[in-house]
Amino acid sequence: MSLVDSMSMAKPNLQARERILAKLHGRELLNCFQCMKCTSGCTALKLLELKPHEIEKLVNLSLVDELVSSDIIWTCATCLKCVQRCPQMASPYHVIMVLRNLAVEREAKVPEAFMKAVSLVLESGLAETTQKITTRTMQVCERESLKLPKIGSPRESFQAVFLKALEEK
Amino acid sequence: MTRIGVYVCHCGLNIAGTVDVEKVAEYARSLPNVVVAKHYTYMCSDPGQRIIQDDIKTHKLDRVVIATCSPRMHEETFRKAVGEAGLNPYLTEIVNLREHVSWPHTSEPEKATEKAKALVRMGVARVRLSEPLKKRKVSVEKNVLVVGGGIAGIQASLDLANAGFKVWLVEKAPSIGGRMAQLDKTFPTLDCSACILTPKMVDVAKHPNVTLLTNSEVVGVKGFVGNFEASILKKPRYVDESRCVGCELCTEVCPVKVPNRFNEKLDQTRAISIYSSHAVPKIAAVNSGYCLRLKTRKDVCGKCLEACEAKAIDFSQKPETIQTRVGGIILAVGSEVFDASKMCEAGYGRFPNVISNMEFERISDASGPTQGEILSRKTGQPPKNMVFIQCIGSRDKRFHEYCCRVGCMVSLKQAILAREKLGEDVNIYVCFNDLRSFGKGYEEFYRRARDMNINFVAGIPSDIRMAADGSLYFDVFERGTNKLLEMHADLVVLANGLVPSEDIKKVNELFHASRSADGFLLEAHPKLRPLECSTAGIFLAGTCQGPKDVPDTVAQASGAAAKAMDLLSSGEIELEPLKAIVEKDLCSGCRVCESLCPFLAIEMKNENEDDAEKVRAEVIEAMCQGCGLCGAACPTGAIKIQQYGNKQVLAQVDAVLTETDAKGGN
Repeated sequence: MSLVDSMSMAKPNLQARERILAKLHGRELLNCFQCMKCTSGCTALKLLELKPHEIEKLVNLSLVDELVSSDIIWTCATCLKCVQRCPQMASPYHVIMVLRNLAVEREAKVPEAFMKAVSLVLESGLAETTQKITTRTMQVCERESLKLPKIGSPRESFQAVFLKALEEK
Repeated sequence: MTRIGVYVCHCGLNIAGTVDVEKVAEYARSLPNVVVAKHYTYMCSDPGQRIIQDDIKTHKLDRVVIATCSPRMHEETFRKAVGEAGLNPYLTEIVNLREHVSWPHTSEPEKATEKAKALVRMGVARVRLSEPLKKRKVSVEKNVLVVGGGIAGIQASLDLANAGFKVWLVEKAPSIGGRMAQLDKTFPTLDCSACILTPKMVDVAKHPNVTLLTNSEVVGVKGFVGNFEASILKKPRYVDESRCVGCELCTEVCPVKVPNRFNEKLDQTRAISIYSSHAVPKIAAVNSGYCLRLKTRKDVCGKCLEACEAKAIDFSQKPETIQTRVGGIILAVGSEVFDASKMCEAGYGRFPNVISNMEFERISDASGPTQGEILSRKTGQPPKNMVFIQCIGSRDKRFHEYCCRVGCMVSLKQAILAREKLGEDVNIYVCFNDLRSFGKGYEEFYRRARDMNINFVAGIPSDIRMAADGSLYFDVFERGTNKLLEMHADLVVLANGLVPSEDIKKVNELFHASRSADGFLLEAHPKLRPLECSTAGIFLAGTCQGPKDVPDTVAQASGAAAKAMDLLSSGEIELEPLKAIVEKDLCSGCRVCESLCPFLAIEMKNENEDDAEKVRAEVIEAMCQGCGLCGAACPTGAIKIQQYGNKQVLAQVDAVLTETDAKGGN
């Protein structure tokens, strides 16, 4: 092997990289020239330290294994700014999604918070539970008191479709 | 009995690394009529050519097949060598073993060798039917049309005029000077742009061999290399050029305000004005889109008429078409600057303090709207924090994939100018992607910028935002420190790249000048014929061929001028004999060929006095490039291309379909 990460002694996994590229349906990832525009604008960077340019580079160097088992790939807020603004159309978001799928496939530990969000979607159809509303005058009140429409629960067919989608790889 | 020699080139390892050249030569020897077949490291070299020449004499060869690189590369070389040995040069056949065999089939050497054999078999079959042809000479006009009066057009015109050629220099704007005239200083020496350009503008306008036509456009081009016929539309200035003294009294009284194009619309000029302070010719022009009298077509206003002491203003002027014959054409139509409002995250067009690099040039220029003072557009005060952002619209697949080749150096220059003008207290940053300082003296210029305490931030912001007080801020992830930096600025300058001009489509149609994938004009060969267009007699200079800086533009313009001189200096040129020919008795006059010909080389002629409707195709030999479109389309088979007629092409097809038994022939 021509390259080793001397800090962790990790070795490149060329097959894994090829699999990721195959799942991306395009090889734009190879065009990433590390302008870091994605990281400059990343919503998840300030709190959760996600650096999309690093993910792009690590996958390009085939240093994939550590990445797949790390928590960092689960912090993407899917705001899609990087997809819109990447000058090379190398969209880190799509790479992160492939890495997440790979993590599930390898039965790597998925962070609890993420699993919670998934089960919440399954139950309610929403990524977040409905919360009380804080008004501009800092009053906390229920949706109903502001005459906002009630949020319904998903149809049963939704759960079936959702579960089926989860099973597909 | 035909006697053919076959020569297989190794091209170093380019061909021999994949194709078994020895086997190919051995196979060729078994083909009918082949009396000698050899292989050699470099057929194009002097000893390589000599092998062919010696064989022509000793083996009494009358046809030669050379299996080597693309004919675009060395067909001329080999024809010349064959000609020197006393054989008609057109009895040479090139078989392309490099681009067609070894390069695309590196992983399959055995199959590649088989393909090489088949191609050689086809070449031998074809060359047997080749006919000796002769080049024809035509006389040429010893003058040149230069389209575009920027630095490229000016330099090319001056070189040609000094060499004694007559030049027609046509410029669309009311003054020559182009983009360079708008610049403040030029890198890497910081020469004042006006100081080095204006004398050239004056020289070219005064030169006895140059006819300068400003406010004019080429609207038609006919003819062919050496004998072009151009129509030039001279648009009315509504000012008599022989009378106007350039006093600008008219501008003072004109009530109609017009965005000033020369100053990137940062200020206003009037509907009658002189293009810029150092315009050549320094003659006023009326902007017909704004002038009240011309817009309303009524007898109104007329203030300029009263003010003009020289009585130069003439609203009765009409467009005028000038016809001229020229031998060559130099295209120097330039480029435009990327419109950053297309890239919404950059904030250009939304935030007044985000400006383009071209706008910075005008603000920094002593003759610009602020008399050279760098001021924030929002507050009217000098900025305290300035940021330059690189690669706007360039190296970006969403807009233009290429590197603009000037953005880095322009920003370095502008940062240095800002430091000189604004002093040490101002913070100046450059957010860059890769800093490309590749030219002579450019890296030293980059160091000079660092010496001047200009800070370089390795990273590009995702978007620019404006705070409530009008100041700008953004985050940028810096790759040297691995930190997310929040930057604040009261002036952001965007390094907008160069893009093909709006007119390039018209130029493409008018001159049959092809364009490359990036939209710029395409050179005939990227390395070996960079100054020529694929249409003979047309040359390229400056940024219309691709983004480039002033030094490169001037060099290319002088090169294009030298190429034009090379073409025209002897007063006559030789024409390739590989042309279409029409067998008149077979032509039905259907006009299919006329509509297809990309070079307008087919004329429909009436030769039958009794029937005025009856026309027949005729090929204008000097314009035909031998592309073969007409021949393929002709429904009656009346058109054939010399050397590429049915008999030669079908012989090739037969050869490839018949797997010749190497020993027996077929």
